[in-house]
Amino acid sequence: MDIRIENLTKTYGNLNAVDHMNLRINDGELVGLLGPSGCGKSTTLFMLSGLTTPTEGKIFFGDKDVTSIPPEDREIGLVFQNYALYPHMTVEDNITFPLINRGVKKAQAREEALEIAKVVKIDQYMNRKPSELSGGQQQRVAIARALVKKPQVLLLDEPLSNLDAKLRVATREEIRRIQQEVKITTIFVTHDQEEAMSISDRIAVMKEGVLQQYEVPQTMYLNPANEFVANFLGTPEINNIEVDVKDGVITAGDAVLRTGAKLADGHYHAGIRPESFYVDENGISFAVDNLRMTGRDLLLFTKLGQTVVRVLVHSYMHVAEGDVIKASVREGHILVFDSSEKLIGRF
Amino acid sequence: MDKKSFKGYLYLLPSIIIMLAFTIYPLIRAIIMSFLGDYSIINHGYSSIGFDNYKALFADPDFALSLRNTSIYVICVVPASIILSLIIAVLINSCNKTKAFFQTVYFLPYVTSVIAIGIVWRWMFNSNYGLINYFLGFFGIDPIPWLNRPEYAMPALIIFAIWKSMAFNILIFLAGLQTIPEDLYRAARIDSTPKLRVFTRITVPQLAPMIVYSSVIGMIGAFKVYNEVFSLFQGKAGPANKAMTIVYYIYDKFYNSYKYGVAAAGSVVLFIIILVMTQIQLRVTGEKKKK
Repeated sequence: MDIRIENLTKTYGNLNAVDHMNLRINDGELVGLLGPSGCGKSTTLFMLSGLTTPTEGKIFFGDKDVTSIPPEDREIGLVFQNYALYPHMTVEDNITFPLINRGVKKAQAREEALEIAKVVKIDQYMNRKPSELSGGQQQRVAIARALVKKPQVLLLDEPLSNLDAKLRVATREEIRRIQQEVKITTIFVTHDQEEAMSISDRIAVMKEGVLQQYEVPQTMYLNPANEFVANFLGTPEINNIEVDVKDGVITAGDAVLRTGAKLADGHYHAGIRPESFYVDENGISFAVDNLRMTGRDLLLFTKLGQTVVRVLVHSYMHVAEGDVIKASVREGHILVFDSSEKLIGRF
Repeated sequence: MDKKSFKGYLYLLPSIIIMLAFTIYPLIRAIIMSFLGDYSIINHGYSSIGFDNYKALFADPDFALSLRNTSIYVICVVPASIILSLIIAVLINSCNKTKAFFQTVYFLPYVTSVIAIGIVWRWMFNSNYGLINYFLGFFGIDPIPWLNRPEYAMPALIIFAIWKSMAFNILIFLAGLQTIPEDLYRAARIDSTPKLRVFTRITVPQLAPMIVYSSVIGMIGAFKVYNEVFSLFQGKAGPANKAMTIVYYIYDKFYNSYKYGVAAAGSVVLFIIILVMTQIQLRVTGEKKKK
């Protein structure tokens, strides 16, 4: 089921929680709604579910306008952030609950519940209570309960935020696997950019209720629409530096970053990702003030002019505090933004 | 005993003294008194030691009536009050704007004197001018002499008591309803759960601890019913003593007939009944929880 959101707006008092949002989600895709807290991503999800009524705008599931259809008739599965499992019921009763509500016979419901329980791999815990399961298992019960009624759309609100770091990585892969296996259009909310990038087909980044960019993860990472998206994606964070352009030469302080750039003279904001630097004998000199070993990489803290700059190098490189290394920026990896923070080019 | 726990016990001392003086000591005295024949509270004299009081108690048709009435009272009042309170609490909880208002209104009976409420209900039960007969008149029911005829004494008492005991139960259930996570109801909505099923499968199980608490407290209170009888029938046990309850019987034997030993024996019997009933109740609900 493809989804179309047109001019979707939700106003609380005089605050636009979601501001004239337009989005098109293709059938069978996994889409991550990404943004900092209070950006309107959960509100968007709850409007898709029907639990929140939009102030303005329309939602289409396929060709059908569902804006005024109540949640129970929207054919959606929703997984809550805290799972909202019925605590006094067993796993099986939790999963069969939506089926029995719809008048499915008990034997039939149990059969269907077992089938979906096998998909999410919780079939051996059918007689347990939710409190006897780990966080990850509870999560999978919640997904099974959402999927058992064979919805057209699956919605997940911060599905991984209640899990510990290690389980989070395993569970996000599980969500991807289940989504692929069931082939269901899925939308999930997250504030974790790594989570969004790793499993989404597309990411929608939001800020203060406004959709910033809707793209395939890799394209978005390399081509952020604006400074906010560039800053929000990637760890360690992108370096924000001030650059001057004169006759096609991009400089930051005394250092020449690029020559021959097709860019009007002036002062700009620029972004360079820490991994965009490479060691280069003819490059700029960086004095290493501080360094941090992260495993695969070494994160160097240096200065470009007055600005602190993070540079990532391979961890087999021998560097110590106080050393000077020479490095350049990869071609096309200097992101230059205009005064309204929009990306104007990569140099 | 080390110094630290000695200090701890010192803090407990005042309440232990009060409990010993006003609960444990009278309890023991009552048990002793129940075995003394013709006991006098003036000179503590008695004629015999044994089961004479208990024999007299179980031979008394009034005591048999009071046992029967109290049982009927408990069986009717406790479940009816809990079911009605549950429904009203859910209704109050579902209307957000008027919640505080109704919460106060329904709690009024709890903070008002039973005697005052009794006077109001006497008027409502009045066979000629009472509100209850007035309303029943709409359904073509002839006026019922609620307070004047023996056969209506118990029904009148039960109706009055259900109404009165609802206040406390509603308060408990409202507090319980507020602890049920909103997401459970949202999930139920997404799962297209019919309204009645939301109530029976989510609200009631989530309120189970409060329901058990209310039923235990309610049952203990119902076995000890006395105030309601006294206020509704102006200090009597209804026409022809038809609304005689155990505590009223004990009161009557002690203050009106001066049969202290029989009254004490009656209290011991009541004590044992309540003890056994609450134990059964807790055992049953405890086992259900395990399942």
